[in-house]
Amino acid sequence: MKKIYLSSPILCLLPALAIIPVLTNLILNIHLGGVYLLLDFLKSAITPSTDKLVILSAIKGLGITATIAISSWAISSFTGIIIGIISSNKFWIFLKGPSWLGKSIRRLLAFPRSIHELIWGLLLQSTLGLSPLVAIIAIVIPYSALVARVVADQIDTIDDRSLIALIQAGTKPINALITSIGPAILPTIISYIGYRLECSLRAATILGIFGMGGIGSELELSLRSLEFNEMWTSLWLLIFSIFAIEELLDRFRLWLFTKSSSGRRIIISLILVIIITIMSIILLYIQNQGLFLDIRWNTVKLTDIQKLLIAFNELDWLNLYADTLIMTLLAAGIAIGIPPLTLLILPAEIGGKFLTIIWTFFRAMPIPLTALILLLFTTPSIYVATLALAVQNIGVLGRLLKEGIEQQKNELFHSVTSTGAKMRSAWLYSRLYSESKSYLGFAAYRTDVLLRETAVVGVVGGAGLGWQLQESLSSFDWAQVILIISGYSTLTLIGEAISEYSNNNWINSSNSTPSHHSLQY
Amino acid sequence: MPTMPIRKNLFVSSVFLVGNIFLSTPKVIAEQTFSIGAIPDQNPERLNRLYKLLSEELSEKLEVKVRYVPVINYTAAVTAFRTGNLDLVWFGGLTGVQARLQKPGAKVIAQRDIDSKFTSVLIANKSSGIPTIKNIKDLKLLKGKRFTFGSESSTSGRLMPQYYLEKANVTINSFKGKRPGFSGSHDATLALVQSGSYEAGALNEQVWKANLSRKRVDLSKVKVIWRTPPYANYHWLAQSNLDKRFGKGFTSKLKTVLVGFSSKSPRQKEIMKLFGAKKFVPANANQYVEIELIGRKLGKIK
Repeated sequence: MKKIYLSSPILCLLPALAIIPVLTNLILNIHLGGVYLLLDFLKSAITPSTDKLVILSAIKGLGITATIAISSWAISSFTGIIIGIISSNKFWIFLKGPSWLGKSIRRLLAFPRSIHELIWGLLLQSTLGLSPLVAIIAIVIPYSALVARVVADQIDTIDDRSLIALIQAGTKPINALITSIGPAILPTIISYIGYRLECSLRAATILGIFGMGGIGSELELSLRSLEFNEMWTSLWLLIFSIFAIEELLDRFRLWLFTKSSSGRRIIISLILVIIITIMSIILLYIQNQGLFLDIRWNTVKLTDIQKLLIAFNELDWLNLYADTLIMTLLAAGIAIGIPPLTLLILPAEIGGKFLTIIWTFFRAMPIPLTALILLLFTTPSIYVATLALAVQNIGVLGRLLKEGIEQQKNELFHSVTSTGAKMRSAWLYSRLYSESKSYLGFAAYRTDVLLRETAVVGVVGGAGLGWQLQESLSSFDWAQVILIISGYSTLTLIGEAISEYSNNNWINSSNSTPSHHSLQY
Repeated sequence: MPTMPIRKNLFVSSVFLVGNIFLSTPKVIAEQTFSIGAIPDQNPERLNRLYKLLSEELSEKLEVKVRYVPVINYTAAVTAFRTGNLDLVWFGGLTGVQARLQKPGAKVIAQRDIDSKFTSVLIANKSSGIPTIKNIKDLKLLKGKRFTFGSESSTSGRLMPQYYLEKANVTINSFKGKRPGFSGSHDATLALVQSGSYEAGALNEQVWKANLSRKRVDLSKVKVIWRTPPYANYHWLAQSNLDKRFGKGFTSKLKTVLVGFSSKSPRQKEIMKLFGAKKFVPANANQYVEIELIGRKLGKIK
């Protein structure tokens, strides 16, 4: 048993070794011309442009991004809940319908979920043309499927004794389902949906960087023309808004769950969501008159088998898959290992505060933007892409780990320190130990997300399936596009299956109660 | 359970709202707007200035409402032409061919006087030690250097430079890091090479000259090392249905107006200055056969 006790905190730290090859490669490729640019870039952080036009266009950009984010979030939440209910086993069991229906809906949902919103965006842009509506639909497709999965899981895993009791007492099955399951799962689902708002904002920003308008476009254009002062104006605005949303959502969760009157609070928050959604859709309409007017359906000529075969032979599958996997694994290693490592090195109060700020910053940085900035002083490579991916995920996993540790009771830590252990080893074997199993479980989910996200950096780092997809799209080679997307989808589905398997192993072996964090994958 | 009806209401009301917006669009479509666009090959503020003037001029001469729709990258410009979001687009050689292949019947309207014999320049940062190249074979000196192209779909910033580099056995995998950079635009390539972020790069000679005359090039830091042989590049491409939508003879009127731009009108003079040329001349699709061949060879046209 002792061996197992030792292994899980070490398992959290070991993946950090991935930073060695990545940093070595980057440092070896740093060049002087780029160092000056980097200094210039950093200096501009304290002197963002205060030009009225720049500020106004940054605010306008943020407005567009925020409205895209809120509308797509709201739509995906509602469709997600509905699809989630009808894809749960319980729904069909109590409706006395065929249970395979729920299962097959769930299987089908794996496909939209396995493809990153950016890929949906690039595809939809090719068929629907230029319109912010494309960005909304691109986010809604995978997000609905993600929400649906969580909702279905929640419905199927909760205790259903009261439900059975109600049905036996003669209540109509559907009413029984709503009254018994609703209150039990709503808090978790609302909490998860709240978190999706943060994700939506990030997604809308990334879509902007790839040409779908808003603050992402502002950032991309100013960075591309090396106008760092202007870029920082937009970047600070984005960082503060992401920070504000995170804070608001944290307070909202506290407000929602601390008092016994949470039933009423759930209703109030639902009404609030309705108002925000309607306002955002109206706002989007006002901001962009051409929004719905520009939508045109254009079919892409679907390719024949022969073209698919040619395309299949043209693609260097081995390298594409290898690059994609290496990026994913290295980035996952860094993102999993660095947060506990830095907490271990800086366990003091000040260190913790410092890390919170850094991690907030990391979370707010759009991944392709990080990659473009790294490219200023180093050469394009798979390592640039890897580090850019890792940076944001260090922010995500760091916050998760720190909040998990902060919620712990102090007894174990005190009992370990009272044995005379040094602070750091005490931290390692009490704080990190208690958290490590669930942390590794979340980390497995996160690796899944990382695999999907390689699509975003592949383009910039010039590596992997993401890069090839962009190249094929710009050559309008639909046969290749179809193959790459299927290839991507297969890969992420396999990844999902593996991480689910390992996650079940970790979660089941720990006794931690599931918190809302466990759903943040 | 009191929450369910609310959720139902919300669903109904949001469906209603979205439906309403869709239904209200035909009113706007009714007034025909002539949408023009361009591949974003230069800094956006310059493009905005240029196309605002051009929209005003075309609107006056053609007596239709003209709208300039900016797009963020080359592929998006082609897509917007294919989906019909844009009626007239200023394309590069490669993007123009891509667009015509996807929209058969689209018409090549005109090009600038400089476009039938267009050239690209390779530039290098002076601290890189790359010498001026006299013989095309010496392009091999660029092997192992940090090298950036412009956009992936740029004719003068990627296609033709890559074509000539390959003649000297320099492929896109020969550069440092086994891959080139793609800066996105000609202005960005200049900025990145001048700053030393890349040791060398390829860009459109007209943009290079324009930056020289605006004193945005620091000749103590960056120099031209090679010039490509001439090829046909940029052109105006129009949708085939313009006569149907804007009245008989609209396409030929458009051609006449563009080709008729002269320095007598101050606005036309300013537009041509921003285009970096003296005038527009008639052009035809045959001029781009070579570009299409090279595009196919390098896999950018399928």
